Parts: sequence; C-alpha cells; structure tokens
Amino acid sequence: MSGAPVLCIRDLHKTFTLHTIDGRTVVSLNGVSLDVAAGEHVAVAGPNGAGKSSLLRCVHRTYLPDSGSIVLHLPGEQVELTSLPDRAMARLRGREICYVSQFLETPPRAGALEVVADAARRRGLAPGEAGDAAAASLRRLGLDEALWDVDCGVLSGGERQRINLAAGTVRPPRLLLLDEPVSALDPDNRELALGLVSSLTAQGVAVLAVFHDLDAIRRLATRVVRMEGGQVVASGTASEILDELEAVS
Amino acid sequence: MTTAVRQLLDDPRGAAAGILDEGAKREIRRATLTAVCVPGYQVPFGSREMPVARGWGSGGLQVTLGVIGPGDVLKVIDQGDDGGVNATNLRRIVSSTSRCAADTDAREATVIQTRHRIPEEALGEQHVLVFQVPVAEPLRGVQRSSAECDRMHAEADYSAIWVSLYEDIVRNGIITMSTGYPVLVNGRYVMATSPVPRWDVPRLHQADHLNLYGAGRERRIYAVPPHTAVTPLTFDDVPFEVEHVPGARCDYCGSDDSFLVEAAGGRFVCSDSDWCSRTAAGDSDTAAHRARAPLAWLPDPSRRSLRSRPKPGAPGTGAAAPEPQPLPVKTGTAASPRDGGDWMLKVDRVGKIFGAGGERAVSGTGPSFGTAVSPLTGAIVAAWDISFDVAPGEALGLIGESGSGKSTVLNCLIGDERASSGTVRLASVDGGETDLFTLSPAERRKLRIDTVSIVYQDPAAGLDLRVSAGGNIAERLTAAGWRSYRAIRRRAAELLDRVEVPLSRMDDPTSTFSGGMRQRVQIAKALATGAPVLLLDEPTTGLDASIAAGVLDLLRGLLRERDVAAVVVSHDFAVIEALTDRSVVMQLGRVVESGLTDQLFHDPHHPYTQRLVAAARR
Repeated sequence: MSGAPVLCIRDLHKTFTLHTIDGRTVVSLNGVSLDVAAGEHVAVAGPNGAGKSSLLRCVHRTYLPDSGSIVLHLPGEQVELTSLPDRAMARLRGREICYVSQFLETPPRAGALEVVADAARRRGLAPGEAGDAAAASLRRLGLDEALWDVDCGVLSGGERQRINLAAGTVRPPRLLLLDEPVSALDPDNRELALGLVSSLTAQGVAVLAVFHDLDAIRRLATRVVRMEGGQVVASGTASEILDELEAVS
Repeated sequence: MTTAVRQLLDDPRGAAAGILDEGAKREIRRATLTAVCVPGYQVPFGSREMPVARGWGSGGLQVTLGVIGPGDVLKVIDQGDDGGVNATNLRRIVSSTSRCAADTDAREATVIQTRHRIPEEALGEQHVLVFQVPVAEPLRGVQRSSAECDRMHAEADYSAIWVSLYEDIVRNGIITMSTGYPVLVNGRYVMATSPVPRWDVPRLHQADHLNLYGAGRERRIYAVPPHTAVTPLTFDDVPFEVEHVPGARCDYCGSDDSFLVEAAGGRFVCSDSDWCSRTAAGDSDTAAHRARAPLAWLPDPSRRSLRSRPKPGAPGTGAAAPEPQPLPVKTGTAASPRDGGDWMLKVDRVGKIFGAGGERAVSGTGPSFGTAVSPLTGAIVAAWDISFDVAPGEALGLIGESGSGKSTVLNCLIGDERASSGTVRLASVDGGETDLFTLSPAERRKLRIDTVSIVYQDPAAGLDLRVSAGGNIAERLTAAGWRSYRAIRRRAAELLDRVEVPLSRMDDPTSTFSGGMRQRVQIAKALATGAPVLLLDEPTTGLDASIAAGVLDLLRGLLRERDVAAVVVSHDFAVIEALTDRSVVMQLGRVVESGLTDQLFHDPHHPYTQRLVAAARR
C-alpha cells in the first residue's frame, strides 16, 4: 500500500525556554520517532498539548528541534532537516515540503489569487502558468471567483482556510504537512477539501496530518499515531487507534 | 588707462621686464605645458594681479604674456570685435610690453587673445588661440564644492552634468545651454568651452591650431592641443545644434554662414568684425569658410520631437544605441535543495570599533556584558564578528534595536565606513576573491552604480530633490554609461510605472513629492541598473502607517520578481517578516541569533529575540 520512505523522524526532542518568564521550560516533544512513506497518510491524534502541531512545525523548521533527527528522502539524496543550512531549508519549503497551518499566515494586503500564484511560482512555474495553476487550485476548493482579488485579511475563516490549502496543494509536493486544515469549513467545502487531500495521497504524496475530527481521520488516514505528553504512545490502523481512543473517552 | 600702466609703458626698464617677471612667466609656461600634455585638464597656477580687473581677461592676459615674444603678431578680439575698449587696451598693453607687432587681420596674427569667439578665418599651426575664461569649471553649475568637482574629474564621474542636460531637454525640448557648452576632450575630461557660442564648438575638434585657456579668478590654465578630439556632450539621439536664425544674413557683408548677432532694427551683422570687413571688401575665401562653417549642426526640429512622454513598454523609435539588457526578472527555475554555496554577498567576521585599543577593546563588551563600551579602553565596539552571506533571489533580514550595530554593518558594506576587521566580498567582483575594503574609493563608487544599490530611510539621502523623478533615475543610468535619451526615458518610465509613481509626475522635481512617493522614486532609482545586490536601510520607517504599508507591499513584490540578493535592515519584526526568508538578530554589536525568519518569530531562543518578538506581537 505504501511506497518508498519520504520522512523519517527519530527521537525528536523539543523544549521551549521562556526567558521572559524567568527561564521557565516547557517540554513539547519528548523523543518522537515516526516514518511517513510516499502515498501514505499518517494522522496524528491526541489531546491538546500532546505535541502534534509542534511535531509538524519541527519538520517545517518553524521550530528548531533540540535533538533527534528528521530525514527527508529526495530522489538520489537524503537530507537531514534539523541541521540543514537555513538557505537550503528555505528552498525546500514550498517546493518539496508544503505546510498548511490551521490559520492562514499570508502577508497582509494580498489577494487569494496572488497568494496561491506566489506559491506556484515558488514551485518553479512561470508567471503565466502560475496564475492558471492558482486559478485551478482555488476553483477545486470552491472559492468564489469574486473573492480572488480581495485582500485575504478581510475574508472569513473558512475562505482563508481554503486559500491556505489551495496554496499548499497548488502542485503535489513530496511531503504535505496539514495542521487542522478543515476546522473552519462547512460540510460542503469540507467535503471538497477532504476529497482533495485523499486524491493527493493517491497520487503518491506523503501526508502527515493533524485532525481533531475523527471522521476525517477515519476517511483519510492509512495509519494513525496517537501522541500524549510529547511522545508517540500508539500506532496502528485508523480503526485500531480510534476505537481505542473512543473507548477511553 | 591707469597712471601706473602708463608709467609702466613709458619706463624703458619696466617695459623690458614686461608686466610679468620671468619667474611668473616660467610658472605660466610650465602650467601651460602641463595643460597641453593633458588635454582638457585644468591646471592650477599662481594667478598674478594684472593691470586689468579680474573678470576682464586677466587669465588670458597672463597666458598671452607667457607665450608671446618679440617675433609674434598679436590680435585681440572681444565678442569677435577688434575695436572694443577692452580689446584695444589689452592689445596695447601686450604689444608695448612684449615688443611684438599687433594686427587685426587673423591671417597675419600668430597669437590671438579672445573672449567669446573663435575667428571666422581659417586657423593653422601658426596660430595660438588664447581664451579669456570667466568660469573654468564645467561642473560648477551642478556642483558647488571645488573639491567634489576635482574628484568628479579625477574619476570621470560626469553623471551630474549628464543629468543637467537631461533636465534641460525635459524642460525645454532641446538643450538650451548656449555659451560655455561642455565638451569631452580627448575622450577623458569634460571641459568648459569658455563663453564661445555653440557655433564655434565644432571648430575645436581636430583643430590645426593650439587653444589655450586662462582663468585668472579661478587660477586655472587648460588647453586643447592641435589634432585633439573634442566632442560636445549630447545624448546619442539628441543632436548637438548650433545657434541659427533661418534666413538671417549679415547686413553689411551678406554672409549667411558666419556667426551673426542681432543689431538694431531686426538686422543681423557678423560678430567677427575683421572677417566681415574683409568679406565686404572681397578679401576673403568664402568658399573655404563655408566648408568650415558648422552647417551640419543647424537646428532641425524634425530630428527632435522629444517632448512626448513615453509609455511603458511602447516600442522604441530610432535610438540605434546599444540597448542595455532588460530589467532582470526571476527565471523561476527551482534550485537544487542542497545548493547553499552560491552567495552573491559574503560578510566575514566584520568588526567596527570606534576608539582606541583595536581588538583589545573587544573583551568585556557585547550582550553578555550588557555594554558596547570597552571597559579597558573606553572604545565603542559597534560591531564585532558579524558574518552572513546572501544568495541571488534571497532576502536576509538584519534586525535589532537602535544601537545594536546594524547600521554600522550596513555602512561597512557600502564602504561609507571602513571596518576595523573582517572582509566583505561580492561574487561578481574578482570571482569573490577580493575584499571590498581593499578597493579604492573610486572602485567602490563604481560598484555602487551597477552592483550594489541602497535604499535609505530618508529619501533625501538617495535622491537629488532638485532634480525630477526621471532625472534621478537618469543619474544612475548615465553613470552606468547610458547615452540614449529615449532609452533613459523609457527605462525611467518603466521603473516609475513599476513603483506606481504616476507618469504625469515623471518630470516634476522630487522636492514636490510626498514622502511615500519620494521613497518609491528612490526605490526605482536603486533598481535602475539592475544591480544584483540591494540594501534596504529601514525602508519604511520614516513613513506613516498607511504609506509604509504600500511601500512594504511594493518591496515584497519587487523582491519576489527579481533575482537580487537583498539585505533588509530594520528594527521592526513586521518589516523583516514581510520581506525576508532568513534573519540575523543583532544586539550590542553582536549577532545573538540567526535562522529562518519564521523560526526566529515562532521559536526565538535568545532572550533578546524573545523580547523583540513579544514587542512585535502588540
């Protein structure tokens, strides 16, 4: 079912030191190991504060892990992300690794089409192609064309979430990181978004995702890992892990 | 004539010595020889007091006295006229003190002292033409400082005078500058042609005679030796033109190919009285004169039509000049992910210490000691051990509060300040082998034209506010060697359009622009030559919020579409976040943290960075 390895995480640790509060430390990840292969959708489940988003952000290097290893498998080479020079990491982002956060973090005063076309250009598309790809991507997620040139900052949460997802998936990346990408969507739009993610997995994209919505996990995940207190406590098929979770609650 | 001069003329001993003693003459001859050896270069000399007021030909008089001897025949003209009071008196002083002959016939003369004209008669190797120069410095109109003028000559940095020609065309449709038209001599020095009309300028090119220029007030002597190239400064596609009134003809001798001046009643007469009277008497070679006359440069409105504003992207008309490459735009090719070594700008362990002690001053300073002042020597360690590099298509942020040393680092980058230690290298200079600090000021200045552009917080620092928006861009382009007026206009319009300055404002002085608009013009100027390195020093800090947002958006778009290596200096995390991928955080002259910009914002490690982020999250 799953293909070649894409992401291998080993013994990842991340602790925040808050110098503004007398150097208090907060442990976020405490030895996480995890693999994601091409065409595999690994869903991370767990309560708030379990370290799910931190894990995604460490892979994206928005957080700098303290120790451990994150290896991205590219054709012909393996890249250690934790120690990759900043410039090389910046170049992987948006090209090989796409990160869709829960909330759109776009530059202010930019329209939806511009944001998505920018993402497409980062992927190496020529300006004209990028515009077409962006339009197709927005249309696929059902964003009203009248909103394409409206400043993203004034759009609704659901609209912004779809722009974010459109930018992350304008071309299938090697590794897609999803952090609650459908939390603000109504049922129809949620259906479109989940359908898109599912089709990307089928195309061979490696997906590492965080959903609170168990129904989405059941539908999309090829494997589920459960996190608690910054550690992976269980791993298995969706039904194994989720049934267990539901039984606990 | 003063009593003193009369006594001088009457006293045989005084007359034998002449007005100048031999020592003074030697000095003038020495300066004159230097001037002949370096055509167009103004040689300083110890100008003497003359028995004429300065401004009345004292410089020309000294040169004439220096070169003339008993065997010479002197002619003196003022406005082409041998009979004026000034000309008559100068002729009497020189001929009586130097025991030389005097004649009004240019054919007989060997030394001709002149103000305002070159004689119409053919001049040959037997002629020395001595000009009385009122303003020797051709750059005086664009630069008041003599020291700066000297530097501009030394470095052949003539963009300011090109801008003045550009502005003249913009305002008047043609170059209106008449007397003292600037020329390039022997391909090297820009020279003022004394106050001769444009009509006479072509006569200097590859002339058979020797031209000497004496400026008494400014104490300069310069020369155009025989057979020297003299080119009037003009854009490739804006023809040089001489003065001409169609149909005008000398009321006295009938010439229509000599330089004419308007007389009473709308009539015209020759300015050269010697030529005119001989032509009227049939004693002149008018056919040879017509061949000498600058008829090829008569005004021709059909060659101009320059006033129309170009539309961006409109196809060019004419302008066969080599068209410079278009503005560089990102090619959109994905780089190899491992590719980390392709830096354009590399800063290696740069330090700057103000005060004594050198490296000894460093210990005991920096963030861990909470001070930049050396406890040992009292020197201020403004920056120490700063290293970073920037690749094409990448923007690096330099963030820190006031006094953190970020501006010091930037000043060291552009060579405004000399670093105390470390190296700064550009991949395009000597393959990245040469430390920019070892370059001469002139070489660094050249780098600033087409390699490293800077946008200052204060637009007045990067713009000449007296000059139009287009003229400011022309300054950068002419410095880079652009000589086509139309190409400059087209590029300026294209750039102003890109930075969203209305083309209707292109020809307005930037002093009439609002702060945000000035900043946009400054950005356009910085982009003009497609420099591969762009430094932005607090580019939006001086602007109010809504204007700053617009400029920030513009910069974001520009950095996205161009393959420049950019360094953004700011104390504002929002600016750094909007523009850069990677950042360096500075405090008290040191780098305390560096990383991906979003990582620094979401996961700052250093206490100082955490405080900066907290402050940005208002």
